[in-house]
Amino acid sequence: MLHVIAPAILFTLLVSGGVGVALALPRAGRMPQVVGAATAGLAGGLLILAMSIRAGADAPNVYFYIFSAIALGAALRVITHDRPVYAALYFVLTVIATSGLFLILSAEFMAFAMIIVYAGAILITYLFVIMLATQAPEEEDVEVLADYDTTAREPIAATVAGFLLLSVLTVMILHGTAGLQKPQPVNPDALLADMPRKVESTLRNHGMLDTGDQIAIDETTGKPKIDGVKGEIVIAMESGLTATLSRSEWPSDLRVKNVEGLGFDLLRNHPGTIEIAGVILLMAMLGAVVLSRKQVEMDEDAKAAQSRLLSERRLSDSASAAIGRGPGGGE
Amino acid sequence: MNDLLLASTLGSTSFPNFVPTLAQSGFPVPMSEITLAHYLVVSAIMFTLGLIGFLTRRNLIVMFLCTELMFQASGIALIAFGRFHLEYTGQTFVIFVLTVAAAEAAMALALVVLLFRRKESLDAEAWKDMQG
Repeated sequence: MLHVIAPAILFTLLVSGGVGVALALPRAGRMPQVVGAATAGLAGGLLILAMSIRAGADAPNVYFYIFSAIALGAALRVITHDRPVYAALYFVLTVIATSGLFLILSAEFMAFAMIIVYAGAILITYLFVIMLATQAPEEEDVEVLADYDTTAREPIAATVAGFLLLSVLTVMILHGTAGLQKPQPVNPDALLADMPRKVESTLRNHGMLDTGDQIAIDETTGKPKIDGVKGEIVIAMESGLTATLSRSEWPSDLRVKNVEGLGFDLLRNHPGTIEIAGVILLMAMLGAVVLSRKQVEMDEDAKAAQSRLLSERRLSDSASAAIGRGPGGGE
Repeated sequence: MNDLLLASTLGSTSFPNFVPTLAQSGFPVPMSEITLAHYLVVSAIMFTLGLIGFLTRRNLIVMFLCTELMFQASGIALIAFGRFHLEYTGQTFVIFVLTVAAAEAAMALALVVLLFRRKESLDAEAWKDMQG
């Protein structure tokens, strides 16, 4: 059935993981939380290790195991810790470990964007709101925790639902990925044809273009003769000769970097989506301002008094401005 | 310098379609589908943890933290698929997921502050009478 892991092992581990998570959820100290967390962690770890045993040479490298262990362990602590501030801090740990996974997947830009945007901005907002929306503790009972933080709502039903979903997901993933074709190796340097300035400056920095030389222009298309796929750059020299630089002579840093490829994909293939994302962010900003504004309750008399006060102030302002403009009142 | 270029002009006829090996060029090597399955399983576990947290926790702020956990899990899956197919679209989508997450956090936290002002409590059960 499944080529990576036997179904019996998979479902045993999923059930024990579910029992562990259900035990680890906060239940007012009545349940052995540590035992539950250890069970869940052990089951998750064994699940991934059992997959790797059959994977053989295709198993991911050791950093994958380190980062996913940190990410999943911290995620478990996010949902089981009974103090919201600690849960938010464990979520930061999850974000950092996830960025590590992104780095292994050679998505460097997203890894750092994740740390900057999530850990740096969103989580700080969360921490601010946690501090804002918490009652100040009394003098004598500093350590008191809110009742709604220490007891979970329907832990068993939720865990059963969650782990049913997880078992369906894992079976589908293991079945579905088995039928996937490995893609052909793609040459990311094909994009270099669209970056003539980068190519030119890199070549100049390496002394491969003299001052009078430049990259040859194709007369029919008007584009520079850079072929990233074949690995050829045609150079028009000052003397009128042309020369072809083949891939083996290119400087080693002449290649499309992750940020450049991502930028090209973002702006060339999804320009409309960026506009929509901008509109979403603008609406979110306006919505947050409108929602969190404090509404001042006033009855009719108070409104009348307020408007009278405002008009009086405006009158006195204009009067003082007129005096200020008069002779001798200037500054 | 020009001599080198001339030599390469002459030499280029001998290997017109020079294709370097993958290791030489530093290109991303295609990832095997079993490696992809590892990442997807990690992503599925993280998504499930977020889901369980959202269902069980009663603190409004922690509930929204759990949705962020689910966003993270979807990000892992997207980037793993993008790496498998050697495309940038997966990473581009994570940027949009990040945008939606930021917008959601701003709105949700404003709502949480509003709800806290009404009932002086972060308990989701306090709003049980809305029958939602």
